[in-house]
Amino acid sequence: MSSGILEVPKGASFTKFNTQHQQKWEDPSSTSDYSTRIEPPFQAFNQTSQTQSLLLCNNQIKVPMQDGSVNDLLQASKIQDWDPSAMLNNLSFLGQKIHQLQDLVYLIIGRKGQVLGRPDELLVQQQQLVTADLTSIIVQLISTAGGLLPSVKQTLSAATTSLGQCGEFGGVVFPSSAQGLNDGVQPQNAGGSKVSEPPNSVDITSNNGNEQSNHIIEEHELKDEEDAEEGENLLPGTYEILQLEKEEILAPHTHFCTICGKGFKRDANLRMHMRGHGDEYKTPGALAKPTKESSSEPTIIKRYSCPYAGCKRNKDHKKFQPLKTILCVKNHYKRTHCDKSYICSRCNTKKFSVIADLKTHEKHCGKDKWLCSCGTTFSRKDKLFGHITLFQGHTPAIPSDEIKAAPAGTSDGATNKVGSVNFNLSYVSSESEVQSSSMDIKGGIDDAVGYFSPLSFDTCNFGGFHEFPRPPFDDSESSFAFLLSRSCNYSQKSGEE
Amino acid sequence: MLSFQSSKNVLSLTEDLLVRIYELLAAESDRKSFRLVCREFRRIDSLTRRHLRVIRIEFLPILLRKYPRLQSLDLSACPRIDDGVVSLLLTRVGPGSNSPSLGHWAWGLKSLVLSRATGLRFSGLEMLTRACPCLESVDVSYCCGFGDREAAALSSAVGLRELNMDKCLQLTDVGLAKIAVGCSKLEKLSLKWCMEITDLGIDLLCKKCVDLKYLDVSYLKVTNESLHSIASLLKLEVLGLMACPLIDDVGLQFIERGCPSLKVIDVSRCEGVSSSGLIYVVRGHRNLLELNAGYCLSELSTALLHQMKNLNHLEVIRIDGARISETSFQVISANCKSLVEIGLSKCVGVTNMGIMRLVSACINLRVLNLTCCHSITDTAISAIAYSCRSLVCLKVESCNMITEKGLCQLGSFCLLLEEIDLTDCCGVNDKGLEYLSRCSELSCLKLGLCTNISNKGLSYIGSNCLKIHELDLYRCTDIGDDGLEALSNGCKKLRKLNLSYCNAVSDRGLAYIGRLEELSDLEMRALHKITGVGLEAVAVGCKKLADLDMKHCEKVGDSGFWALAYYSKNLRQINLSYCGISDMALCMVMGNLSRLQEAKLVHLSNSTVEGVELALRACCARIKKVKLFAPLRFMLSSEILEILHARGCIIRWD
Repeated sequence: MSSGILEVPKGASFTKFNTQHQQKWEDPSSTSDYSTRIEPPFQAFNQTSQTQSLLLCNNQIKVPMQDGSVNDLLQASKIQDWDPSAMLNNLSFLGQKIHQLQDLVYLIIGRKGQVLGRPDELLVQQQQLVTADLTSIIVQLISTAGGLLPSVKQTLSAATTSLGQCGEFGGVVFPSSAQGLNDGVQPQNAGGSKVSEPPNSVDITSNNGNEQSNHIIEEHELKDEEDAEEGENLLPGTYEILQLEKEEILAPHTHFCTICGKGFKRDANLRMHMRGHGDEYKTPGALAKPTKESSSEPTIIKRYSCPYAGCKRNKDHKKFQPLKTILCVKNHYKRTHCDKSYICSRCNTKKFSVIADLKTHEKHCGKDKWLCSCGTTFSRKDKLFGHITLFQGHTPAIPSDEIKAAPAGTSDGATNKVGSVNFNLSYVSSESEVQSSSMDIKGGIDDAVGYFSPLSFDTCNFGGFHEFPRPPFDDSESSFAFLLSRSCNYSQKSGEE
Repeated sequence: MLSFQSSKNVLSLTEDLLVRIYELLAAESDRKSFRLVCREFRRIDSLTRRHLRVIRIEFLPILLRKYPRLQSLDLSACPRIDDGVVSLLLTRVGPGSNSPSLGHWAWGLKSLVLSRATGLRFSGLEMLTRACPCLESVDVSYCCGFGDREAAALSSAVGLRELNMDKCLQLTDVGLAKIAVGCSKLEKLSLKWCMEITDLGIDLLCKKCVDLKYLDVSYLKVTNESLHSIASLLKLEVLGLMACPLIDDVGLQFIERGCPSLKVIDVSRCEGVSSSGLIYVVRGHRNLLELNAGYCLSELSTALLHQMKNLNHLEVIRIDGARISETSFQVISANCKSLVEIGLSKCVGVTNMGIMRLVSACINLRVLNLTCCHSITDTAISAIAYSCRSLVCLKVESCNMITEKGLCQLGSFCLLLEEIDLTDCCGVNDKGLEYLSRCSELSCLKLGLCTNISNKGLSYIGSNCLKIHELDLYRCTDIGDDGLEALSNGCKKLRKLNLSYCNAVSDRGLAYIGRLEELSDLEMRALHKITGVGLEAVAVGCKKLADLDMKHCEKVGDSGFWALAYYSKNLRQINLSYCGISDMALCMVMGNLSRLQEAKLVHLSNSTVEGVELALRACCARIKKVKLFAPLRFMLSSEILEILHARGCIIRWD
């Protein structure tokens, strides 16, 4: 798998990729086929990018190709659930782009026939154009795939790192102005040319229609700060730095039985377990909590470093901030460098990588919504009042006002969304057998519900929905399409109304 | 000829001169006489009148048309006002409808009192605020239904400077935030008993309304956080924190460092506040004028006294319920020379010596409250009388050792005395009242439980204290008809009279009471001698009677109640408990008295359930509060109870 990753940036693989596409597009019947075949390399791609993404977040662009941990990470990570309907949506948009590119290549081929004699500058330029265009398509493809993963942020970073790799390895200098290309491609291209500047990573994602990513980055930084021990100002060298390996951090168990290998979360549980292996483990001494080293010598303060290179919590970072306990390390690593695989079952939008965070959120999710006159909602009253303090002229909205105003002012989308939710639910219940037969598809439907649920009518979500044009979904050949076609059709309608 | 000449002279005065004359008339009754002179005078009155307090809502449209230049409108006496009335007033003023513009009266209106207007909701308030662009002051106190939406409606009055929202029980932080954002020019805000308000609301208020000069958050469940926010108000002069249970000394520390303009602070009944908290306040604000710390100090500590030495401008101090030593009085009198009022009610350790030391330097004292300072004797009263010649108010309730000697001194030196509370001072006798009657400015006299006074003493008061408007004779059992005769001959301005348990009073006495035209408030519980004749005399004579308590007047028959129903059109509150009123009379009283708001109808021996039901039906449109015999809860039809409830009437079952 890792070889696959390394291949992609190379010029050769690009061309190979390109031809592959062309072949595929020549028979238009197999859209689904296309997506399934393309998928495996993408996932690999995505995994690599996960590791690199956080570097970008921390404003450092450094591609850790030498890092052996990439492979490990790939193995550790699981294949994510994804939303096929949204995927298809984006793919069809990309399909259009590829068609445009196809036209361009045809043009080049045509010209080649005309000017056989001299391989002039124009040809080189065109080649570069095609390469750049393809790069952008790849970037978008990856982001499309990544957008279906729980963490959108990883998509963002995947996109940028892949670009970075392209720049480095291909040695291609992108043309700064790409007039020859079509409108949709331009922004990505511009982004690609300035790949070394971190802010562009944000640009690219917003162009991709994932405004959410900004939010998520902020959130991460916030949480990092929460972890930081503000009062502490330990001088470097006054404490011992420990760095756990990533597997160790992510391992569900930290205490293993030396005899049978069974793992435990707590040492006490292990000790209880050991009793089964013989009488020698039943003595009070063996069962007692191992006492700490005698306090005669001053204990060295222990601090922890995150194994993720480039992370602010990594000991090699310029402004290294150590983590205080193993628990801090675990939470930090999961929050910052891992997928957010726990999704709130109530709102279906909030995702978490630490289960405790999810539980905290679920406690408050869906409770009193505090609404400002500007339309922003807050889960907590004090947050609303803080907002009102900050902004001139904003006032808290009184719920009954909103009911009155709704028919006049607010978007029809909200009501439609509710409708779609109802529809989807009824759909699920009516064909429960189908649902039970394929669990992952049910997940997809759930996702759609979340998309349209009235709780999450954030502008970014809804805006993102409009971002890609939706061609009518009529490909019944694909393996999953017939199951989902109805719900997809419906949601499409609700989006247009 | 002569009359023609003189009238011509008066009429020859130009309009502006007449206006000048009119403006010199202070009393309402004088203005009334003025406008009754002739049409021209009435025109002057209607042109120059700025303030209007409406008693009957029926006349409101006509009055509003008559007075186009109103600046201040007081509707607190017509709580029946509701959204429908407001929309009517704003769209069509008066039946003639010949006024040039609709709702013209509202254009110049600056002050609006809507206290107790429980029927007024957000739509009415919205119309009012839209129609009154110059609105600066609004009083919506005791509007129990006033909530966030009403606040939102009111918040469109951007020019608002003063707002009273006492006891707006439904108001929450959201409504307060609406007000704070909408009316950012607020200077005076009272939020007493708005129990839903929390620190968040106060914090936002202090950030948005930085011009606040007066803020009252008494009785709220706000914490020190709020004081932290309040401390940032640079212009705040008056801060009311009465009975805020969650505030303590730490919060007052914020006040020490903030509120540079603070002049008046009230922390009375704050359980968490102690001497050290007050030390913070006093240390931070040397220019404090008023310190109200009643019932929150266990004793006036030396440390606090030490700080108080710096309060050279202090005018008012109230430390009710605290323990105080004689030396403390020394320190106070030596440093706080400009003291005008001191409240020592229920203080422990107040002695003659202490009071003498206090008044030796504080000669400007005008108000002195020594309620329940039992060890006070004539010596202290004499010292007060001799030193504080400008004394206006003296409260010595339940100071048993005061006798005629003390009152003699008061009558000799304190000729400005207006109010004296001698309740439960059994040393007061007729001779004492004779001395006291030399204080001709006396307007409020409380003699409840002074069992040693008789008609003779009352006659001195009746002949000398002509300005009295409040007199309390509760359980003065020796007072009889002759005393009331003397009273009615002299004290024509009497407005409030308590005759409860003065058993000697008979119908003849009530006939004298009937001569008191200004009387509005009469309490006459358990007068066993009086009958319908006496009540009729009162009803016919006391046209302004608004509050009548005749509990346990069992002998009063229906003729009296019929008269009441017929004549006492201004009656607002009535207590008929334990009276022998019949069904018919009850219906008449309840149905005919169109201003009636509150009635207590417990244990009516001659009434039936049907009678009470009918009576309630007759008044259900306007009654606001009614007290009924508890078993009736299940006997009255559920329909009438629902109607009452829907109309916002509060029923108390006894």
